[in-house]
Amino acid sequence: MLLSPAERQYLYDSLVQNPPIRPDARNVFQCRPLEATTTFLPSSNGSARLRMTDGAECIVSVKSKVVKTADTPNLLEVDVDVQGYRDDSNFVATLKYNLSSLLHKNFPFEALKLTSRYSYKLFIDCIVMSNTSYPLTIISMAIYLALKTTKLPKLVSEVDDVNVEEQPTFSDDWEDAKTLGEATGSDFQPPVFITLGVIGSSLLFDPSLEEEQVLENGLIVSFYDGKAQTPLQNINLALNSNKNNYKGLKSTHIVSAISMVNKYCGMIIHALDTLIDQDEGDGQVF
Amino acid sequence: MPRLELYSPEGLRVDGRRWNELRRFECKINTHPNSSDGSSYVEQGNSKIICMVQGPMEPKLRSQMDVNKANIEVSISIAHFSTFHRKKRSKNEKRIVELKTAIENTFENSIISHLYPRTFIQINIQVLAQDGGLLAGMANAATLALIDAGIAMYDYVSCVSAGLYDQYPLLDLNTLEENDMSYLTIGVIGKSEKLALLMLENKMPLDKLEPVLGLAIAGGHRVRELMDEEVRSHGKHRSQRQ
Repeated sequence: MLLSPAERQYLYDSLVQNPPIRPDARNVFQCRPLEATTTFLPSSNGSARLRMTDGAECIVSVKSKVVKTADTPNLLEVDVDVQGYRDDSNFVATLKYNLSSLLHKNFPFEALKLTSRYSYKLFIDCIVMSNTSYPLTIISMAIYLALKTTKLPKLVSEVDDVNVEEQPTFSDDWEDAKTLGEATGSDFQPPVFITLGVIGSSLLFDPSLEEEQVLENGLIVSFYDGKAQTPLQNINLALNSNKNNYKGLKSTHIVSAISMVNKYCGMIIHALDTLIDQDEGDGQVF
Repeated sequence: MPRLELYSPEGLRVDGRRWNELRRFECKINTHPNSSDGSSYVEQGNSKIICMVQGPMEPKLRSQMDVNKANIEVSISIAHFSTFHRKKRSKNEKRIVELKTAIENTFENSIISHLYPRTFIQINIQVLAQDGGLLAGMANAATLALIDAGIAMYDYVSCVSAGLYDQYPLLDLNTLEENDMSYLTIGVIGKSEKLALLMLENKMPLDKLEPVLGLAIAGGHRVRELMDEEVRSHGKHRSQRQ
């Protein structure tokens, strides 16, 4: 929905205040409420559906395949499909590029190693059913949930196959399947992206569609391993607006964005983990 | 490897059903209240389909406007992960375009479209998992979503597939059965025996067509009952809430 000039000015004025007054009374570091379900696709290794209150929705599936490590340059493939956009459009290509570079830089690839010859390759397919604000955050959160609940079958053949030509064989029992966290032996937390809106001297977590229209700049910060990571970039989120007040970014904004992400993202990750724990796991999508 | 026994002498199919039994059919309506005017979710066996309807709304282009009736457009997207082996599909694949036109033709005649002149109705179908009965599942999901959107229709269009194995008609096929026998998909209008949709992509002996059609119509009526149950229980739930 496009805002009228008067509405834009009102929203802008309330957001540049210190502290900013957001239209839905959120604090600057709060995300919108979301609901999610996991593990509902029986033919995928992991799946998640995530929905925001404004109707934005994303479905992610993780599928695996056994490949020869030497023949495969990358063990992760991300694909994004946004309803209403062509696959070769700029919008979709940028989302795909951002997500692939995030995962390629911050992923425990040793968890995918099977034997000295073979590895798992993961195919991460994201479908954005409907979106209002920039969908990168919800896609990356849905990927987080899907990867966190992904289960890979247990290898029963020899791990060392340098000298013997042997195909890997797997346990028939799905109860033996391991999550990626169990495979690495540590607390595996996939990387996530957080979108921040820049307005005046303040930074807003997860800006809504209305807020995006008056923002002066935007930042995408990734979070992995308990702290802000690269890729980190700025973006113009006010795409839907015909008259945007896009401005440059101060270096202090970047510093405070990193410190805010370091401070508050842990809580978002914790909330997502709680969501997985509370999921009944009855295989229902809705 | 011996060929799979699709229909055993004892009268059981690969998944343990009898010849005239439907797979588990579950449906929900109004699943996406904030992002669409009407929405539904259908599970037929292992197939999972989401449908969202936008409209009736003002058409984006002049060319999409018809002064006498509503313009209906269907878009189908099949997820890359919907089959056992992941496969990339383009939206312009011949088969998908054919399914899209079949659904468009069906609903152009089932919606009372002269009530909505100069409007545009967009039906988005998303297939999450497929295990046979693709067209049937998509059309059922579209029927439910249109009902949820409050768009006037003459009656339910309830779809189901039926095939012919040797000389036995079998109802509601899964992928394994679909790959190995000739089958048709029908859409029954309400409680009548009229058809809004009939798709037969391979050959079937003419003298066997009648029992297969008869079985499919009976199955369609059962599907209609199940959809009606969901619509009514949802309606009750909504009226209690207000």
